[in-house]
Amino acid sequence: MRTAVRFPARVSLEQILDGLARDPEFKQMVTRWERIPPRRASYAEFPAWMDGRISATLRRRGILSLYSHQADALETAHAGKHTVVVTPTASGKTLCYDLPVIDAIAKDPTARALYIFPTKALAQDQLAELERLAKDIDIELKTYTYDGDTPPAVRAAIRSAGHVVITNPDMLHTGILPHHTKWVKLFENLRYVVLDELHTYRGVFGSNVANVLRRLRRICAFYGSHPVFICTSATIANPEELARRHVEDDVVVIDRNGAPRGEKVLAFVNPPVVNQSLGVRKSALFIGRDIAATLLASGIQTIAFTRSRVSTELLLTYLRARFPQPQWPPDLVRGYRGGYLPSERRAIERGLRDGSVRGVVSTNALELGIDIGALQAAVLIGYPGTIASTWQQMGRAGRREELSAAFLVATSLPVDQYIVEHPDYVLQRSPEAGLVNPDNLHLLVQHLKCGAFEIPFDRKERFGTEDTPGVLSYLDEQGILHEADGRYHWSAQSFPAEGMSLRTATSDNVVIVDQTNGRQRVIGEIDRFGAPLTLHEQAIYLHEGRQLQVERLDWENAKAYVREVKVDYYTQAGESVRIRVLDEFARQDSPRFGRAHGEVLVSMIATIYKKLTMYTHENIGWGKIHIPEQELQTTSFWLSLSEGATAGWPKERIEIALAGLGNLLHGLAPLLLMCAPHDLGLAVEVRSPHTERPTIYLFDMTPGGIGFSERLFKSTDVLLERAKEHLASCGCGTGCPSCVGPAYALGNDVREAVADLLSLK
Amino acid sequence: MNDLRARIAQIVERDRARHEQGGNGGIDRNPLYATVDPPASGRYPVARGPSIDAAVLPAQPRFEVRERRIALDDLGLEIVGRGACDPLLIAHLGLKGASPDRWQDVLFLDTETTGLSGGTGTYIFLIGVAHFAGSELVLRQHMLLDLGAEREFIAGLKSEIEPFRACASYNGKAFDLPIIRTRFVMAIRSELTVDDSHLDLLHPARRLWRDRFGSTTLKQLEESVLDDGRTADIPGWLIPDAYFHYLRKRDPAIIAPVLEHNARDVISLVRITDRVARAVAAARTGRAPDHAPAAYALARIFERTGEMDAAFGCYESAYCDGDNTLRAKLALGFARHLERRGEVERALRMMETLVALGVGSERWREQAESRIRRLAKKRWRKLATAS
Repeated sequence: MRTAVRFPARVSLEQILDGLARDPEFKQMVTRWERIPPRRASYAEFPAWMDGRISATLRRRGILSLYSHQADALETAHAGKHTVVVTPTASGKTLCYDLPVIDAIAKDPTARALYIFPTKALAQDQLAELERLAKDIDIELKTYTYDGDTPPAVRAAIRSAGHVVITNPDMLHTGILPHHTKWVKLFENLRYVVLDELHTYRGVFGSNVANVLRRLRRICAFYGSHPVFICTSATIANPEELARRHVEDDVVVIDRNGAPRGEKVLAFVNPPVVNQSLGVRKSALFIGRDIAATLLASGIQTIAFTRSRVSTELLLTYLRARFPQPQWPPDLVRGYRGGYLPSERRAIERGLRDGSVRGVVSTNALELGIDIGALQAAVLIGYPGTIASTWQQMGRAGRREELSAAFLVATSLPVDQYIVEHPDYVLQRSPEAGLVNPDNLHLLVQHLKCGAFEIPFDRKERFGTEDTPGVLSYLDEQGILHEADGRYHWSAQSFPAEGMSLRTATSDNVVIVDQTNGRQRVIGEIDRFGAPLTLHEQAIYLHEGRQLQVERLDWENAKAYVREVKVDYYTQAGESVRIRVLDEFARQDSPRFGRAHGEVLVSMIATIYKKLTMYTHENIGWGKIHIPEQELQTTSFWLSLSEGATAGWPKERIEIALAGLGNLLHGLAPLLLMCAPHDLGLAVEVRSPHTERPTIYLFDMTPGGIGFSERLFKSTDVLLERAKEHLASCGCGTGCPSCVGPAYALGNDVREAVADLLSLK
Repeated sequence: MNDLRARIAQIVERDRARHEQGGNGGIDRNPLYATVDPPASGRYPVARGPSIDAAVLPAQPRFEVRERRIALDDLGLEIVGRGACDPLLIAHLGLKGASPDRWQDVLFLDTETTGLSGGTGTYIFLIGVAHFAGSELVLRQHMLLDLGAEREFIAGLKSEIEPFRACASYNGKAFDLPIIRTRFVMAIRSELTVDDSHLDLLHPARRLWRDRFGSTTLKQLEESVLDDGRTADIPGWLIPDAYFHYLRKRDPAIIAPVLEHNARDVISLVRITDRVARAVAAARTGRAPDHAPAAYALARIFERTGEMDAAFGCYESAYCDGDNTLRAKLALGFARHLERRGEVERALRMMETLVALGVGSERWREQAESRIRRLAKKRWRKLATAS
């Protein structure tokens, strides 16, 4: 028998923080130690129109009034205005939409609501909460999740009887909209559509979701309903714009947070440099482990976030080694990521809420609104990629009345280094916008086809673009649609939503087949543009900590066959990128730089690969890659060096400076765009045929582009300013992977040359 | 504008290439349309639907209904379509819900659609319906000639279906009825009237013939049960493309094989229904199906309809003809019947033999042994009261 271990906080968080602040070694790593004072709550009465049973139940639960932002949201939603609520984690966002929905159903049992969450896990969580609330209020409210996991046997019941249907955009796209005639009751009576975590609907995914919502509204109109959209979002620069693009109507923004907050300490930690010449720092994972272990050992409930599944597992292993059994309970620290069983995840969530799980290591899966209660401390290994995510993750620690702490440990990526050296970027919430481009022609045409499948298009109908009639008539000529009586009918056997992913722009992916031990198992996929670099034959592909060698790449059929190996090297492929400018949308010249954006054709061909030893990165061999050239038509931003910028420079210096500046801008651009580094491609040309000057191209990796290049064009000054700041504060001497790129590869004066370009000094 | 077209072309082309990789090829590659002759003219009396908007399509009819009548004797029907409708028999044919009183109240139907995946973008362009009138079967085929006239087409279909108490189909539960339901909502925002009273012949046919003939597609049953196979038939997967081809070319020769295919399907459906009914009727009079698994399947249905004598007959026949695996499967049920008829001794001997032979799973043997103990006790009591 095992006795339950209780964790009285042996040492208070205050004492631990005090200890850390005094520790000279730790102090050296901290670039900012910020104390955020507590904030008092701002309350508001329950609205008079709200069903009496609801307020009575809330009072019974100890909720005597609403926070001001909740009351505001209820008012606008009730008045039939589309609403977006922008407040931090744990501010009671759920009630902002649950209450108007429950009220509507309490007064009219035929009313229906559709909840859309970005992931299945979130949907499960909401289901439980809404069911509890409805049960307490004692109204008939049937809530169901409808996703890939819903058993076919209960689907019919959900379709006709569910008051609230909880789903995700992918299921809406393939499972609900193309079968809308089975959902007549829902669409006829749809009062509210809830879009939770709106800020996650950006980039390609967001642009697809915006089109799915266009289709949803067409179907609602067909059945005569006009639902009110209630959106919630983490803090971003443009919640109104983003919500407008999704709802395509006026939206009221509610961003005055009325929830209270306890005092909070935020620490920005930069691991020390261990190799000055290579600019290599101590691993963020190790530093993060030390911080988390210190907290856990004193009974502080802690969450650690990592950026990938692999590092989640690694950190978990490291932490468990620190807390051996039997002195420590076996499940003191748990892991949490995609790939765990739903039941496992539920158990961990429960454990976190009731305090039996003291520590958890997670990917960003736990950053979204899954209810795990509030923890005392958060440790972020690496900058999560956006300010919004950073606040979401840091917000996981923080109780209403108590002190909490959050640590951000930087890796050596350029973005991380910028953030840790400029914590104000996070603290002062510099603007960072969620971008979508639902009118990207590539995406639009796909969704137009799905829309025609759902309801024939009228000749005069507009779907996103002014060019709708042109697209329709083209599809008619191609026999994909068939015009009859001024309406365009779907006229193909295929099911257009099938095999069309919302999460990537192209559905051409290369599937990775693991044939270790004679079995064939699909372990992942990579988009076709990325595949030549990582899945060429002989490449060492890393998957969940295993080394797999690509034995055969079947490019025609988009399959890569791999087998597990144990080797002490990794591979790195080089590619040659050529750019042809097709159309220049806008251009602006200045004495040092010319900037422009427009449409380009990118030709990419993988050339050779190198074998590099682990740890020492020595080159121990190379080979040729035989994969056909790929073309990508997309939008690009480009920056060219004017005559004056490099007057009198030797050609080699211009080359080096251009490469260095390209790396620097490519590394920092994700800060402005709220995107991942690989969403943006980089090419440099010492003499561009288009600008006839040395030019750096930053192009959108999504065919057709989703708005990155225009944004970069408009914010070039901000980007250059950030680049300057970052370079000035980078601790390396001559250039490192965290700024302009490693000096040993580019040239010893790379940092100096880039600094000259940016007129530093 | 040209630029836009070029770009859409590129997108569409890429998409098409992807679909064709796994798909079954385009229409231009199959030669079937040209080679099949249209049926002899005059065979179908054609009733044309009203042209709604003559200005749009001056000469084109927008949908049409073809009708033909076939004598029951020509179809070789013995039970179906003749005399009153026995509710117990109807239950055997897979009806859920209230039984119709007369065969005339049942509408047999089969649809041809623009795709097999279902969903709101899949249209019904042809539906064949058949009902009994006097000594004839009346087959009516509704054909949609213009997608723009779907509303009138479906409205016509609705009034065709409405007078009937029940409908019969082959695999309609999974395919035809959901699509009809979808089209009713899409075209006229209406619900289907015969939804609950539906005889899906697929399941009874499977019970009787699956283990015997392997596949139980309608086409296979025509060959193996009716001994009347098809020649020159258009394969089902070509039908949607044939229709799209027809919409563009308006050549009746393209669609003629589809009309013939559909007529054939509906007629076979009626004939197969009769064969199922005959098997049931024969079993009632003591002639269980020769094929043991079919006899066992019937036995279970008879149990459900409460026809214990017929059930017993089928059990006994299945037990005699079946192999040991099937015997083990049916022994517990059969023993129950024997017990009810007072043949405890026989039930006991059967169970003991099977256990001695070591058939069945471990779990089955546990059940069998517990049954043996119960039967033995019963026999003991019987002997005690007798003495």
